[in-house]
Amino acid sequence: MKCDELHRRLTDHADGVLNAQDCAAVEEHLKDCAPCGALRRDLEDLARLCRETRRPRLPEEVRRRIAALLRTPAAR
Amino acid sequence: MAARNPAPPEVREKLSRALLDHGDRLYSLALRVTRDPDLAADAVQEAFATALERAGGFRGESSLGTWLHRIVYNKAIDLLRKRGKETALPDEETVVPGTDEDLARSPSWSRPPDEILLGAETVAALERAVGELTPLQRVVFELREVEGRTTDEVAEILEIPAGTVRVHLHRARMRLRALLSDHFRKAPA
Repeated sequence: MKCDELHRRLTDHADGVLNAQDCAAVEEHLKDCAPCGALRRDLEDLARLCRETRRPRLPEEVRRRIAALLRTPAAR
Repeated sequence: MAARNPAPPEVREKLSRALLDHGDRLYSLALRVTRDPDLAADAVQEAFATALERAGGFRGESSLGTWLHRIVYNKAIDLLRKRGKETALPDEETVVPGTDEDLARSPSWSRPPDEILLGAETVAALERAVGELTPLQRVVFELREVEGRTTDEVAEILEIPAGTVRVHLHRARMRLRALLSDHFRKAPA
């Protein structure tokens, strides 16, 4: 497997949708190719950054308005 | 307009629970589409009003959370269109220069320490970088990478094939890695 093919398959690999043969080829390439290994580590760090970053919160005023709407017997 | 049947109490209860469980995530999704806090808040509020009206038609084929995400996504696009679409819409993708190979050649982040990887400056750089993605890349990235939904759930929310989700997610990841590469090179060691 060449580097450009590996790049295209990294997301499929992470998603677990590759067949066993392609999966093994990706793993084999990653073992021997330092730049592709570094790319994978960067993408893992990106995923971690996203998971651990605080997300915006629905403003309280909007939350209260929606809660009131859901309590009101008539739809609008 | 004909009077609507009021939604039964159990439906109100489920939607109230969903507001607690999914409110912030729905708002984040609307923000990624509209890039406007007021418009995003309107999209979430209108989505709950619509869900209340249509709850009888919800057949439980998807989870309530997934169903609400789909409504918020469509509301956000509708609101942008009504406003004269100052922001490009997710279904109007622009061609972005640079191939995957160009992106892959960006310098590695070289495993930054946690205080830099998770620091405020990196978070701000990530926000700026996400702003440079195409609209569909932004939404796919938000749902898949940030929210952690499965590819199939993202496909269901956006009503696009799972393979298309994976293509946009891959491109989004590669672009963000390239865009943040400069940030990490400049970060103090």
